[in-house]
Amino acid sequence: MHRRLHQPHLPHSDSPAAPSSSSSDDAAAKRGKKRGSYNCGRCGLPKKGHSCHAGSSPSPAPDSSSSASAAAASTPVSAAAPAAAASSASAASASAVALAPSSLASASRRPPQPPPPLLPRHPISHLRRALSFDDLDVRADEEEEDFDEVEPDLDERDRDFVDGDADAGGLPARCLWEVLRRLPPAELLAVARVCKGWRETSRRVWRAAEDLKLRVPSRAQLCFVGSVLNKCPELVRLSLRMESDVDATMLACIAFSCPNLESVEISTSSNAVNRITGDELGRFVADKRCLTCLKMEGCSNLGGLVLSSSSLSTLWLSDLNSLSKMVFNCPNLREISLEFSRNGNDCTDLIAMVDGLGRSCPILQNIHIASVRLSHAVVLALTASNLRGLRMLSLVLGSEITDASVAAIASSFSDLELLDLSGSSISDSGIGMICNVFPETLSRLLLALCPNISSSGIQFATAQLPLLELMDCGMTVCDSNNESLISDEAINHGMEKRPNSSLHLIHQKLIIKHSKLKKLSLWGCSGLDALYLNCPELNDLNLNACKNLLPDRLLIQCPSLENVYALGCQELLIEVIQNQVNNDSFPVENHLPFKRLADGSKRVRVPHFLCQQQFDVDKKQRSRRRPCNVLAE
Amino acid sequence: MSSSSSSSSPSCPKKMITLKSSDGETFEIEEIAALQSKTLESMIDENCASTPVPLPNITGKILAKVVEYCTKHAEVGADAESLRAWDAEFVSVDHPTLFDYILAANFLEIPTLLNLACQSVADMVKGKTPDEIHKIFNIKSTFTPEEEEELRRENQWAFD
Repeated sequence: MHRRLHQPHLPHSDSPAAPSSSSSDDAAAKRGKKRGSYNCGRCGLPKKGHSCHAGSSPSPAPDSSSSASAAAASTPVSAAAPAAAASSASAASASAVALAPSSLASASRRPPQPPPPLLPRHPISHLRRALSFDDLDVRADEEEEDFDEVEPDLDERDRDFVDGDADAGGLPARCLWEVLRRLPPAELLAVARVCKGWRETSRRVWRAAEDLKLRVPSRAQLCFVGSVLNKCPELVRLSLRMESDVDATMLACIAFSCPNLESVEISTSSNAVNRITGDELGRFVADKRCLTCLKMEGCSNLGGLVLSSSSLSTLWLSDLNSLSKMVFNCPNLREISLEFSRNGNDCTDLIAMVDGLGRSCPILQNIHIASVRLSHAVVLALTASNLRGLRMLSLVLGSEITDASVAAIASSFSDLELLDLSGSSISDSGIGMICNVFPETLSRLLLALCPNISSSGIQFATAQLPLLELMDCGMTVCDSNNESLISDEAINHGMEKRPNSSLHLIHQKLIIKHSKLKKLSLWGCSGLDALYLNCPELNDLNLNACKNLLPDRLLIQCPSLENVYALGCQELLIEVIQNQVNNDSFPVENHLPFKRLADGSKRVRVPHFLCQQQFDVDKKQRSRRRPCNVLAE
Repeated sequence: MSSSSSSSSPSCPKKMITLKSSDGETFEIEEIAALQSKTLESMIDENCASTPVPLPNITGKILAKVVEYCTKHAEVGADAESLRAWDAEFVSVDHPTLFDYILAANFLEIPTLLNLACQSVADMVKGKTPDEIHKIFNIKSTFTPEEEEELRRENQWAFD
């Protein structure tokens, strides 16, 4: 859905080489963002305003946030007591459920980039039941993109055959139910052929299903999806991965078969075209009174969109293009993510849209808009609205967003937890304003591909924002004349490299000491040649393409570091990194390089604190929990 | 789970309860380990566990393994990796035994064991044709030949 904005600056959310890393924070809130975490690692709900009660509450699992693009796909497992349950059924089911580990259901439809870092746990309700392709395996750390082909089961004759004691292989119905519900959909259909008892039990499993993730292969007809959906009338969450074109008849089919649907997600793989129009979508949403979450990609044929729904709270649309109007009459909307196409021909009036958004969706908390047409005027329209509850604001790709926009944001929204202005033109003074207003709430700051930011701005931010956990400064401190592969890719992703002729963007150093920082991305910062990091909580460090970083000017004192990405760095640097992060006995060398800068005016010296803390770091290094991966492939 | 009433100080002997299998064998299990079974937990709560608890549904052979499972899982400080490996080993048994584990876990309401055993059986079923399943689990198909043919035709694409 939402394509990656740019190079994996937070690789654990992106690169296939990334190992399962620490927090599922990496699963981006907006599909495809794969940066930072908008969502709670445990249950997948947007972090904002959320207190996670994973594991205890009987409320439905919030796996509607399909954020975890990479998260393990197994779905929440709850044993709904089958009709012919044995005496201890409900008690057993509740308890069986409570312990069945599950992970984010709505996890990626997308080829999981990063294998879901951590398996998010779900609060499991004894009433819910999920079907998915993935292993409902305790041990599953990898997400299984095990999308199956499922063909319709047209045999409805023996529907309610109850097989007495269901002595099917020696297991009573209750136990067989427990086994069959752990099978993926295709298998579940297949085992119906084993014997009547198994068929009956598998039907019960279908009927209890509340979550379904289905891949619709290109040769499948609509009736196929229809017949599968007919098996699970209790369906609450549906996720379809379309490999053939999808249009309004699919919506009609969904609407017809699943009266209780709360969450719909439609993703498209490469060749599939989404032909749903705005009117059709609007009708679908208006008719579905309990729909709370809608995510759809490939929305290039919408044309215009008027959505009216009092229940909708999460909306993600991507590949939007040239919408004549976009109106959201959704008073309960909390999260909206709109990604516009980047091929330059989008002419949607963002100002009018944002204006309307502010007026009709007063409780919005998370906003993400990706469009090259984002400008200062759009920001002003947004800030003029009364969105007191805004916690996460992400306006990316807008090169016309300036420091003035930051001033407006800073003066209107005082409690931001996440601010993402990647691709904008803000400068160090914009950062100054951010640090002035948000030090008590901001935990995530993303400023990738902002060419007017320098290392002093970055350093200032890390020094002034005590709650910062994620900082993304990819492709900021770099030389515009750099013709590396990296910048080409950035261009491919729609980001233009704006020329900056400043010499001061080379030979830059960064000194960062922060007690809470967990993820730092400096990918593509080819202007950096020195880096000193002292961050006890740092888990992930991205130094991809920091090709000018000198091995003898690198000092990493981060005992919790789990992953370092060093693709495109000098060989020697990679070695130095390996040594620094993995050696238990930290060589107590003299790390006080003295050097003159290119202009001969200054000496660069490692700040005093780094020496003093070396001893402590040594101790911590010895008790490092797990080895740090240095990924340079 | 309710906390056990036994003291945790090393000088006190661990509180044990006795379980009696269908074939008359008795097994002792630490109360703490027994708490993993909801059935036993409620019995302990109601003070019915001071005499041997009869379990007429479970044979000695299976009960021994169940006790072993609960004891292992009640250990503190076991790391997740090795526990997983232990579990995998635990369920590398023939399918009748697996079924017995499921039945025992169901009866005693031991969610972790139930999940483990059911998942193993599910894994055994995955990817198998109905005929293979018949063989493995010794099940007879109760469909008429016509029904079978129909079902087969319907699902012929299910394994593409």
